[in-house]
Amino acid sequence: MDTSKVRNAADVEQVVRAAIASDQPLEIIGHGSKRLIGQPMATNALLDLSELNAVTAYEPNELIITVQAGAPLADVQSLIDSKNQQFAFEPVDTSALLGTPGTGTIGGMIGAGLAGPRRIKAGGARDHLLGAHAVSGFGDSFKTGGRVVKNVTGYDLCKLLAGSWGTLAVMTEVTLKVMPKPESERTLVLRSLDDVTANRAMTAALGSPFDVSGAAHLPSSAFRPASEALAGLGSPGQAVTLLRLEGIAASAAHRAVSLGKSLAPFGGVEILHDGASAAIWSSIRDVQPFAAGGALGAWPVWRIVCPPASGGALGQALARDSGGDVIYDWGGGLIWAALPPKSDAHAALVRQRVDAAGGHATLIRASEQVRRQVDVFHPQAGGLAGLSERVRLSFDPKNILNRGRLIRAVAT
Amino acid sequence: MAVMMPAADQAVLGRRGAIVAALRAIVPGEGVIDTPAEMIPYESDGLMAYRQPPMVVVLPDTTEQVSKVLKYCFEQGIKVVPRGSGTSLSGGALPLADGVLLGLGKFKRIREIDFDNRVVVTEPGVTNLAISQAVAHAGFYYAPDPSSQIACSIGGNVAENSGGVHCLKYGMTTNNVLGCEIVLITGEILRIGGKSAETSGYDVMGIITGSEGLLGVITEITVRILQKPETARALMVGFAQVEAAGQCVAEIIGAGIIPGGMEMMDKPAIHAAEAFVHAGYPLDVEALLIIELDGPGVEVDELIRRVEAIAQSCGSTSCRISNSEAERNLFWAGRKAAFPAVGRISPDYLCMDGTIPRGALPKALARIRDLSAKYDLRVANVFHAGDGNLHPLILYDANQPGEMERAEAFGADILRCCVELGGVLTGEHGVGIEKRDLMPEMFSEIDLNQQQRLKCAFDAQGLLNPGKVFPTLHRCAELGRVHVHGGKLAFPELPRF
Repeated sequence: MDTSKVRNAADVEQVVRAAIASDQPLEIIGHGSKRLIGQPMATNALLDLSELNAVTAYEPNELIITVQAGAPLADVQSLIDSKNQQFAFEPVDTSALLGTPGTGTIGGMIGAGLAGPRRIKAGGARDHLLGAHAVSGFGDSFKTGGRVVKNVTGYDLCKLLAGSWGTLAVMTEVTLKVMPKPESERTLVLRSLDDVTANRAMTAALGSPFDVSGAAHLPSSAFRPASEALAGLGSPGQAVTLLRLEGIAASAAHRAVSLGKSLAPFGGVEILHDGASAAIWSSIRDVQPFAAGGALGAWPVWRIVCPPASGGALGQALARDSGGDVIYDWGGGLIWAALPPKSDAHAALVRQRVDAAGGHATLIRASEQVRRQVDVFHPQAGGLAGLSERVRLSFDPKNILNRGRLIRAVAT
Repeated sequence: MAVMMPAADQAVLGRRGAIVAALRAIVPGEGVIDTPAEMIPYESDGLMAYRQPPMVVVLPDTTEQVSKVLKYCFEQGIKVVPRGSGTSLSGGALPLADGVLLGLGKFKRIREIDFDNRVVVTEPGVTNLAISQAVAHAGFYYAPDPSSQIACSIGGNVAENSGGVHCLKYGMTTNNVLGCEIVLITGEILRIGGKSAETSGYDVMGIITGSEGLLGVITEITVRILQKPETARALMVGFAQVEAAGQCVAEIIGAGIIPGGMEMMDKPAIHAAEAFVHAGYPLDVEALLIIELDGPGVEVDELIRRVEAIAQSCGSTSCRISNSEAERNLFWAGRKAAFPAVGRISPDYLCMDGTIPRGALPKALARIRDLSAKYDLRVANVFHAGDGNLHPLILYDANQPGEMERAEAFGADILRCCVELGGVLTGEHGVGIEKRDLMPEMFSEIDLNQQQRLKCAFDAQGLLNPGKVFPTLHRCAELGRVHVHGGKLAFPELPRF
């Protein structure tokens, strides 16, 4: 397969224009850490951005960083960490879940738009992308947004680029918001709640004034191996409900006590501090319990987003009816479901239940064979599907970029 | 009028009687307004220097009526301008002589309050403040708080991606809306998103937010609500130099503190506000910062101490800290009344809305001082210092020949300066007609063409709110053409594997 390694936006324009001329659809990759997500593509050439990887400008006092799309996420994270800053939406590292090496690039982080536990408070990748330079499927470089937080000049194309899985344009450089890291954190642990009760406890916590920045539930599980960071919480046979508080030390400590009191009807709480707390949340963020190298590594994994208060009932029913295992994040608004292997990965069951709950489901991990049989991304209602297709064509009329990744019908 | 609007379609105007009759068949009773006297309130929005009576006003009260009106206009090739409360400061709701003005004022009902999912489902004509009021009894509120919040509608907030003094910590409208029901110009009704944190597929909600009524007409919105912070306190800090105040803002952020709000006023703004509301502002300073910290009491008390220390190290000349809600509100009273306060000292004023990188503040203010001398017009500056959003108020007298044109030229120069300093043309008021012709200062033709192609995906005939946002209109077919450059390239300089 042809690979074009690009070093600047002009290179990208050239490769895309040549691809248009020869009708040769391109797969856009950085480090390829998320290549296993999506429908198998109808592409026969690679556009590799890994050498377009410079940090253009980092201005801690402006709370922004401008980087080229191929910059390694891990390097950028250590750079901003050195100034005590972070990407507040907690980008998910999918390497354990997918069994691929490396955490990928900044471009992949935005293109996938997968946010971690703090999404409930800080928003998602789409909320932190302030500006972008990109090359459309017309082969033209364009820019959108800017380098400031407050900006309503023109359409906010950044929102479309985030989570578009490389199907609209090839991002070459992005400006991202960075935020101060909290000085301290606490995690409250409630034990042995069933999923629906845990959902109620998380709803109560998120409806409190204590500024909860993480709300997750790990049900009692017959399957889940003890992942290292979670092992300290006890055996997988015992359910744990976790609530995170972050901020200056005095505040986090004060809120931990107050929240614990307000949750008394759900049982006593234990409180974990800083390092122990942080390790738990990165395990949840990265879906460690369903790691590819773990006991459920061969099972397909769904990522379900739903109205948070209905998560407990939805996840419980899915686990029961499929014989699978689930974990909850975002106060019930995000369910990761590992279901026993099946030719359709239980798509019919999942989609029926998720539709009824007003949510949507993405098959985030499955074999290529299964992904050819199943709609990986949630099918949209007719009118919205039509609009989305027109939006895509407005960026990429020749269907050159990541052809077929989002919609199965296009691939076949 | 200095801004050229698309030429009126005489054929459409010639059919006015039939159009009014057709709209009456869709929206019966008083929902169609066609007499000149009754249409006067709709001639203008918050950008009052521009006025234009519409061809007809229609005020539907159901989604089905909106759909039928739009479908009729689409089939008949009639332009449509949507309008909420008409508080836009950029002329987003300025009517067209040959256009239907579609008012959403009758969509006044909050449809659902769902505390468990922390959302409110509302019709677009509900005011921003009414949402917060409807959930206040349970300790919740809707975070974005544009200063027009008692009047502006939530539909208009979505159209403009409105901000407010609390966006630094809590985000703009786009960070606080989850879904909507939208009617396309074809009459097609779509539901986007809902009570979930994310929508499926492309983030269409994200692109509708801030699209200034060019993509569709919103008939329902789902917004996030937040639990009110336990407490809020404010500091009012004076500085002898603008530079020192700017340094203080940078150091607060650099110390990892994100205040709930951080506002700056310059000397003319301080004096105008103090004369109007008597908030106790120091009159001997060049710049005043109002910094609000919110959260749990212990946190706020600690952060107040830290901010006070930073202010002192930056050379503050005065510092007052609120010890009661009454005192905190008094600190804000002057800032919140800054626009009317300036209105008292000048017959007319023009409110600008650029954003700059925080660090460029002293430079921007110096440039504005120079421009003030050049144009011989006074200016007062209020500034959302935390997020770099600058609101220079240019004072002028429309009765003096040429002053309004001079004020507009001054304003345009300020916005050019914002772009030059690494900022943008508009932080929260929108492009509308006001900044439309300045768009090329920030965007190339290719950039603007990509935005207009997106418009084509929603409205291929360009019937929704034409003449706003884009300085030049192109036909969708022309924008959609792919130009093949040079055929199959070998690009020998690239490594191939």
